[in-house]
Amino acid sequence: MEIVVCVKPVPDAETKLRPAPDGRTLDLEGAKFVLAGYDESAVEQALLLKDAVPGSTVRVVSFGPPGRTEEVLRAALALGCDTATLVESPPLAHSADVRSVARALAAAVKKLPHDLVLVGKQSGDSEAGMLPTALAQALGHPGFNGAVELKFDPTQKLFTFGRASEAGLERWECPGPVVLGLQQAGNDPRTAKLQNILKSRRATLDKVSLAELPTLDVAGATAEAFQLPPPRTGAKWIEYKTPEEAATKLVRLLKEEAKVFP
Amino acid sequence: MSRSVLVVGEPRPTGLVPASREAVAAARLAAEGGAVAGVLLGGSPEAVTEFSRGGVTGLWVGSDASYAERRIDRWVPAILAAAKSTESEVIVLASTGFGRELAGALAVAWDAAAATSVTELTPTDEGLFVAMPVLGGRATSKLRLAGPRAVVAIRPNAFGAPAMSGEAAPVESLSAAPPTPTLAGRRVGFEANAASQGPDLSSASIVVAGGRGLRAPENFHLVEELAEALGAAVGASRAVTDAGWKPGTYQVGQTGRSVSPQLYIAVGISGAIQHLVGMMSSRVIVAINSDPGAPIFKIADYGVVGDLFLLLPALTAEVRKARASG
Ligand SMILES: Cc1cc2nc3c(=O)[nH]c(=O)nc-3n(C[C@H](O)[C@H](O)[C@H](O)COP(=O)(O)OP(=O)(O)OC[C@H]3O[C@@H](n4cnc5c(N)ncnc54)[C@H](O)[C@@H]3O)c2cc1C
Ligand SMILES: Nc1ncnc2c1ncn2[C@@H]1O[C@H](COP(=O)(O)O)[C@@H](O)[C@H]1O
Repeated sequence: MEIVVCVKPVPDAETKLRPAPDGRTLDLEGAKFVLAGYDESAVEQALLLKDAVPGSTVRVVSFGPPGRTEEVLRAALALGCDTATLVESPPLAHSADVRSVARALAAAVKKLPHDLVLVGKQSGDSEAGMLPTALAQALGHPGFNGAVELKFDPTQKLFTFGRASEAGLERWECPGPVVLGLQQAGNDPRTAKLQNILKSRRATLDKVSLAELPTLDVAGATAEAFQLPPPRTGAKWIEYKTPEEAATKLVRLLKEEAKVFP
Repeated sequence: MSRSVLVVGEPRPTGLVPASREAVAAARLAAEGGAVAGVLLGGSPEAVTEFSRGGVTGLWVGSDASYAERRIDRWVPAILAAAKSTESEVIVLASTGFGRELAGALAVAWDAAAATSVTELTPTDEGLFVAMPVLGGRATSKLRLAGPRAVVAIRPNAFGAPAMSGEAAPVESLSAAPPTPTLAGRRVGFEANAASQGPDLSSASIVVAGGRGLRAPENFHLVEELAEALGAAVGASRAVTDAGWKPGTYQVGQTGRSVSPQLYIAVGISGAIQHLVGMMSSRVIVAINSDPGAPIFKIADYGVVGDLFLLLPALTAEVRKARASG
């Protein structure tokens, strides 16, 4: 089976949250970029399918500025992905345009054999949750987000998965090629072995250059401000002698001060 | 400068998902006095009534049972047909799981700028300015969606729904036959959620969540009774779901659901960062915990230090009393 996984470089959890000097985005000065959250699960799911279906290949693709994007691609290689493609972004400045990301990734994915394109349900930083179906639309493939319990039936060549709705869990089956945004891989992501980390540092990355990409409307959506919430000053304490007094005081505050009592 | 806006209603068995009604409020802001049409695909008669009285100037209805499968390749062409008939420049949806699937597909199919989880919206001559929580609710990002088209999915509980009007807006059928699916894939089954009482966790306006402080599964009813008295959804920390006291669908946090209700009451939950990122963007947070040093108090608005086994029954009784007396 030919699997493509798309991962986004996101700053790691240690990154100090503060606005960049222009106030428009998160300050990424000195940040370390990692495979995060759902993207890590997507890579793990791809590798599990590869383990289960002999002869499979996992190709990882990422769109972004070279430095940080290389970092996450090498991390994915160290985990066991077979090849990595860096799709070079135009100087993004403040772009947050999902169309552009989808079109750039689609241009790269089209060049790779693929039965399955796996992405995260939502990225670790912007958490938009739009790219899975945007990419499917750009590729002309069926696409679903929020997939759980993904399995492959090799005799019928069908992918089966669950898709959660408010009322319950839908069961779907779909032949490839299909794009799936993964909600849960039902696993603990593996960690890379030291020797594979060292090997991944020397690996050659495939590159898709700007010249090969369609024209992107990167200014369609732009970041204008990055703001931290005013620091919560800590709880207002409810003083009381009996539980009943605590209850009366709290209900009154919720009603009259916070105005959230139903 | 006024513009026409289209609201996509998301049906559920009993009507519309609440955030679809709130989407009408956001759409009115975006329209600046222009028309606000609704489009409803596969909803019940109750949903048609609710939507047509919910502040739209007109409603387009596509009533084919197949819309219930929530296939992008049926919904996107139907929505775009409605957008064309209404000459809409903005499409507003509820930022539910399906709403975000639609938003991504529409961004490409309609060639529009798009944003999800939107909590604020301001129209300007330079485009729509929108705000949304990012990084697990630890920061807010403001984006400008340049024209000429924009897709905006709004976060539940961020915009109040407009009042229901006595008079229903005109309802028209989408003239074209429902689009036939163009893409592969079949829905082969459906497992309804165990008849959960009360509202859905992700979109509830009040959530009461319990943690390990409840000590044993047979004590969890204390949390459920308070939730019932408040008309709230029930959530839990991972300590509770991992121990099997409650199914995983109850879990709030980094590896569970993200919630942003008007009111979040954390009971016997310490406030580990993995829990906080799933609920920190709630408007008002109440914490009940016996340990005054519990980290949850750092982000809570109201703190009650004490034994939940004494406090919860008193609080539930007080809430019932207050609600009964209006
Ligand atoms: C990768 C990863 C992902 C995770 N994802 C999540 C997630 O999505 N959601 C999540 O919740 N956690 C998550 N966790 C777990 C998280 O780190 C905490 O372990 C968990 O949230 C603790 O749950 P708790 O607050 O219920 O339990 P505890 O931390 O044990 O807290 C129990 C609290 O109850 C109080 N208490 C005890 N008795 C009483 C009483 N009688 N009256 C009042 N208060 C009392 C105690 O003072 C204490 O503060 C994750 C962890 C990891 C490593
Ligand atoms: N720049 C990118 N490069 C590769 N994959 C991406 C990129 N942006 C988003 N994705 C993928 O799309 C998923 C959803 O992203 P988002 O819609 O931004 O929340 C992520 O989890 C990634 O798998």
